[in-house]
Amino acid sequence: MTYDAAGEFVYALGSIGHRGGKMDGVRVGKRMIGTQAPVTLGWDNIPRVEGGPFKQFFFTWFQPVMLVALVAFWYYAPNSIAKASTAIGIGIGFRVLLLGLEWVNPRYKSWQLTWKECATDLFYVGLGYTFLRLVDHYIGDGAMIEAVQNGFDWDKLAWFTGLPLLVQAFAISFIFDFGQYWMHRAMHNWYPLWLPHSVHHYITQFNINKGAVGNPVELFLIGLGIGGFFDFLPRAALLAGAIGLAVGSYMHINVRFNTPRWWRFMFNTTEHHSVHHSQDFEATRSNYAGIYIFIDRIFGTCVDGEAELLGLDGGRRMSIAEQMAHPFTEGWKTIRERFGRPVGLPAE
Amino acid sequence: MNLRYFDWVWHVRGSIELVPGQSRDEAFARLEPVFEQTGTSHDRNGDTLRFSKKDPAAQDPLAIFNTGTLRIENDAAALLLRYHLISRSLLACFLAPLLFLGAAQLTIALNKLDKPVASKDAEAKKKPDKIIVLHPIDKALGAPEPDKPKKKDAKEKDDSSDEKPKPTPAYVFAGIFAALYVIGRLLEAWLVQRLFRKQLAGA
Repeated sequence: MTYDAAGEFVYALGSIGHRGGKMDGVRVGKRMIGTQAPVTLGWDNIPRVEGGPFKQFFFTWFQPVMLVALVAFWYYAPNSIAKASTAIGIGIGFRVLLLGLEWVNPRYKSWQLTWKECATDLFYVGLGYTFLRLVDHYIGDGAMIEAVQNGFDWDKLAWFTGLPLLVQAFAISFIFDFGQYWMHRAMHNWYPLWLPHSVHHYITQFNINKGAVGNPVELFLIGLGIGGFFDFLPRAALLAGAIGLAVGSYMHINVRFNTPRWWRFMFNTTEHHSVHHSQDFEATRSNYAGIYIFIDRIFGTCVDGEAELLGLDGGRRMSIAEQMAHPFTEGWKTIRERFGRPVGLPAE
Repeated sequence: MNLRYFDWVWHVRGSIELVPGQSRDEAFARLEPVFEQTGTSHDRNGDTLRFSKKDPAAQDPLAIFNTGTLRIENDAAALLLRYHLISRSLLACFLAPLLFLGAAQLTIALNKLDKPVASKDAEAKKKPDKIIVLHPIDKALGAPEPDKPKKKDAKEKDDSSDEKPKPTPAYVFAGIFAALYVIGRLLEAWLVQRLFRKQLAGA
């Protein structure tokens, strides 16, 4: 289901044929999606879970049940349990469970997790928990917001703590995701920001930890938010974390779900995000939100569908060394092309 | 120093006996499709096949290897395929725990340098702790009340390290990569042998 130019839902045909090496593509609003690489458009064209009734039931209800269970847990957990350390434990356990689901019911065989992919992804997860966390501690959004608040003698916007817990939790995740939407969209539209973000688009398959893969500069930038200006109850922050875990974790997953319609209307899914990562340029300029896909729907950047062929440069897989250096080497190349002295042709 | 004593860390060696009656040419013809992958170049010279890879695809079955040599030799009884494959990925994984141990040491060092600011404590003293009350909806639904603010004693005040980054995740990842290396070294050596064996058998 997609928006057409008039803002109405339309079911776009998923058939994408080859014609002289170039694909026909499908018109979505004002743009043609799938002219460079295959993209399936429209929910009705996306394959469903195959297998017996238990498997169908499990992969239809898993996502909503986990969301409700996690929210209920954090809502009612006694204060002695409702702590960040519990959240870390649940987060790790949930990811291990999702890894198991990738094994049982992969979306695509061509995205199967290999040892090398697993090691690469975990390297970036490790960077996030160590070096990046250190940098974030000293110059991240928390440190910057504290400096601004101290500089202007502002207090935190404390009235938020008086709101119902679930409203606070939604506000925390929405404020972060709204900021992320615009940061992400800026990364696709402004070359200096695209340089660090482009590295993440070199991933050629989805697996549970692929969200951590990227140049550290980008990972730092995408983690910035303005939530620190507001005061929230600790439980609300944990609830927001649970929403992020129960919705955002599926962005880069290789599992086939029969995701309910209401869910994919509201939340980002692996289908949406695979379109964003497809090898088709126009398709990548869509689905920027992390959790709430309705932000994309509001701003006209949502494309409902999925893609199997992912990446840049025709699906070239980048090594970690190149991923680290790419924004700088590419940036330097561009600067030299634009401002460098033209090299004269040798006289014959 | 002889590198052979420890180059098993990133070098994988092995041998497979060829099916009786199978010639060198037949064996290489069966093995060559394995090297027809994106970013892989290979050339055969008599009894030896050499390959090298640059940016191999994620699903390339030999993706972890950068270069390798396959040689078919005359053994006492039959022809024998000997292979010697080199993987920078295995070496990087072997060294990764050192990187994370370094991260742990860096965290500890920065925590020592990062002394608490005195004025911050004084400011905190000025502002009385607010008593937070739950919204009536949450009360009605039975959510636990937030803890009442405790008066911090001197011991707790000194223990401002709660907000500082901890070295624990770095130690955990050092352990994860040590385990990953052992798994990868065994698994990939087994997978490559299974792949070559399958190809030679024409399965």
